[in-house]
Amino acid sequence: MFRRILVANRGEIAARVIRTCRRLGIETVLTVAAADRGSLPASMADGTAGVASYLDVAGVVGAAVAAAADAVHPGYGFLAENPRLARACDAAGIVFIGPSAEVLEAAGDKLAAREHAAAAGVPVLPAWDAPAQDLEYPVLVKAAGGGGGRGLRAVSEPGQLDQAMAMASAEAAAAFGDPRVYLERLLSPARHVEVQLLGDGENVVHLGDRDCSVQRRYQKLVEEAPAPALSVRDDLRAAAVALGRHLKYRGLGTAEFLLDTERARFYFLEMNARIQVEHPVTEAVTGLDLVAEQIAIAEGRGLRYAQDDITLSGHAIECRINAEDPAAGFRPSPGRVTSAVFPAGPGIRVDTHVQAGSVVPPQYDSLLAKLVVSGASRTQALTRLRAALARCRIDGVATNTGLHAMLAASEEFAAGGVDTGYLGRWPDHAPQTVMDKSG
Amino acid sequence: MQLADTSLRDGNQSLWGATGLRTAHILEIAPVLNRVGFRALDFISSTAMGVAVRTHREDPWERIRLARAAMPDTPLQLIGTGFRFISWERAHPDVMRLVYECLVRAGISRFVVLDPTHDTDAMAANARMIRAADGTEIVAALTYTISAVHDDAFYAGIAAYAAASPDIDRAYIKDPAGLLTPERARTLIPAVRGQLRGKPLELHAHCTLGLSPLVYLTAPDLGVEVLQVACGALANGSSLPDAERIVANLRELGHTVPIDDRLLARVARYFDRLAAAESLPAGQPRQYDAAFTRHQVAGGVLTTLRRQLAELGLEAKFGAVMDEVSRVRAELGYPIMVTPFPQMVCGQALSNVLAGERYLVVPDQVIRYMLGSFGKPTAPVARDVLDRIMDRPRARELAAEPPPLSVAELRRRLPRGISDEELLLRFGMPGEEVDAMRAAGPAATRYNPDIQPVLRLLRELGSRPRLSRLVVTKGDFQLSLKGRENG
Repeated sequence: MFRRILVANRGEIAARVIRTCRRLGIETVLTVAAADRGSLPASMADGTAGVASYLDVAGVVGAAVAAAADAVHPGYGFLAENPRLARACDAAGIVFIGPSAEVLEAAGDKLAAREHAAAAGVPVLPAWDAPAQDLEYPVLVKAAGGGGGRGLRAVSEPGQLDQAMAMASAEAAAAFGDPRVYLERLLSPARHVEVQLLGDGENVVHLGDRDCSVQRRYQKLVEEAPAPALSVRDDLRAAAVALGRHLKYRGLGTAEFLLDTERARFYFLEMNARIQVEHPVTEAVTGLDLVAEQIAIAEGRGLRYAQDDITLSGHAIECRINAEDPAAGFRPSPGRVTSAVFPAGPGIRVDTHVQAGSVVPPQYDSLLAKLVVSGASRTQALTRLRAALARCRIDGVATNTGLHAMLAASEEFAAGGVDTGYLGRWPDHAPQTVMDKSG
Repeated sequence: MQLADTSLRDGNQSLWGATGLRTAHILEIAPVLNRVGFRALDFISSTAMGVAVRTHREDPWERIRLARAAMPDTPLQLIGTGFRFISWERAHPDVMRLVYECLVRAGISRFVVLDPTHDTDAMAANARMIRAADGTEIVAALTYTISAVHDDAFYAGIAAYAAASPDIDRAYIKDPAGLLTPERARTLIPAVRGQLRGKPLELHAHCTLGLSPLVYLTAPDLGVEVLQVACGALANGSSLPDAERIVANLRELGHTVPIDDRLLARVARYFDRLAAAESLPAGQPRQYDAAFTRHQVAGGVLTTLRRQLAELGLEAKFGAVMDEVSRVRAELGYPIMVTPFPQMVCGQALSNVLAGERYLVVPDQVIRYMLGSFGKPTAPVARDVLDRIMDRPRARELAAEPPPLSVAELRRRLPRGISDEELLLRFGMPGEEVDAMRAAGPAATRYNPDIQPVLRLLRELGSRPRLSRLVVTKGDFQLSLKGRENG
């Protein structure tokens, strides 16, 4: 059993991991870069260890050794899916809380992941390594070395292809150190649906599905569980579990899919070998603490649940509240939070790392808080979401709270099952209107 | 030197009348308890399961399941006699078999077999039944008392029997009244250990007379492998020795104790905060009381007796009842004062005092004891008392009682289609209690002692709709709220 865990991350996920560790009686040491020394997570952890960068593998492992940590929790982003960190932890005799380095490699390389999915019998979209005669437009240029929306370019006609590939490759090289790109048929309209998996290396169970179709520039903004109006639910979950079994998956992971809304067919998108930002919606409908489950698996326990032990009930919706200005093209809005008032009450959960006085540094992700509401039904969750958003007030930095309020009020979203292009089709002035309304 | 914690069961029973802890209270600290390094946790008894239903309207089976999930590494223990479940009436062996199967399925892996008359055949039969239900660890209780028959050789004999039984894995000296002195420990423990043939020995001595913390310090050198303790507010008093103090003292004497001090302190402080938030008494160190050796009533029963007298407005009779307890115990053949006998002896003593005439009112329990329902009394019952009791019409009725119902017979009588767990609850207690538990819905699973005062304030405010002004002051902080007129 772990006595001490090094939390190698920042922001709300650092606070989230620390909270579970505290509940379990596990000490935490948090890595902090200069900008985060005074952060809320830094004050929550039992100790801190300075690092030059959250991407510094040697620095993180050195901090874990110096702190006499039994394990490293990498959160999401940064080094969470980096096989080098997994290997370095292993070499230092420290447990990496995540899948094996081999699985991280298989999932991290999008081309390899596609092959695994196909081998597991999971449908994949047609793809090409390079421009070819049989290319079916529109296509998406994708980075082989990583996800998260970076290195993506949509191409609708042959004349645009060369330039799009060059730009995507340059962006991918900068983001992931890997310039390889490939082409995949662009599915539109489509929904982004995903399945939460938990495995112990032998057995794999799913913890239900989520819908993350409300996106801007391939970045998720709103997620919900379960995915509303999903006719292929059983097949989708079965496909995800098949992939997890094929990978002999150990830990928490997410199989992401694109759903062809017109033909009701789904295709493998990618495998995220880490905890997701949107994990709280799954926690709300399963009653599980997914960080505790990660720790349990990493401590060497077998899976504690058979599929039949997992019960899903109710509905949950998460809004990512970012320090960004929707009226200015979602431009990040770093600065000092002068006041932060979050709602509380039945079915409301807020995961955050900010409070009055917190500084939002410009160099990191702009996620301030995740507002998660749940209810017995989607209708009840939506009602709660609208009321909760109205009581949410963050001053000092611009936020997208007003945009969320408008989304929650929209009839199309309330109907359920919007596609990934939904938010992009909003008239340009809409967010501005909302900002005015919210004052 | 290993420790087993008894806070959740014996601590709660000894100090808080078994009613103090709810499911949420346990679950909140369970993940930490799991990591302290305890060898096992004394978790529940059939009595505590009944209290969960009756007092808290909580499903005790669900409590076990949730606790097991939160504490996967520490064996959870049930203590029982093997002849009853919740109800004081004797259960059919078939019913007990189902009880054990359900307990193992829910997450109990360690079982104490406790026969109050040290009937070794009954103990072995009980252990066999538990093993058949896949109980992993079975611990025989050698219940300590002071009497002419309970000498070291007597306990060595029971230990030899436990050593020979393939279904008994270890034994413990159980001193429910805290009578064991360091002097007696020095002869008793080696005598018992000498017969156990290598099976581990544990020690469980209540603090009722303030002796056990000292006895525990002699134990490691005498070959005891596990000491049973309690944490924070649930230690001391008539409960078990305080874990933090025992760890510190053992280490002072040079022993190694595989306990995480930081987490142990966290558990202890949690129970301290819970006791304060719920207005429950924290165990205090006790002074030696020479009179106690006469009546030998364990802590939990004493607390219950005091509460019963208080409810009747008869606190002043406590001394008289305790004197009567000593007399009744002698007349009934010196039963060891361990469940169900303290309840039986105290019940009779209470009746004798309240009725104004001895044995005018005789509880059914006492009649059943006379009829041999709980085994053979260790010493003969006083002739005149036996005659007076057995001559009653009720004694003849009970003697003619049909045997206890089997599971198949229970199924025929109880509502169709209910689960095994519900069947057992309905067997053990009135159906209305089980109905009320089901109607109450799932138990809360989260609890924070620190916010209880605020919750209480809010509840009180909610119950006063006519209140128009509220001022809360704490240090420099003042909150003033004023409602509308007629609001």
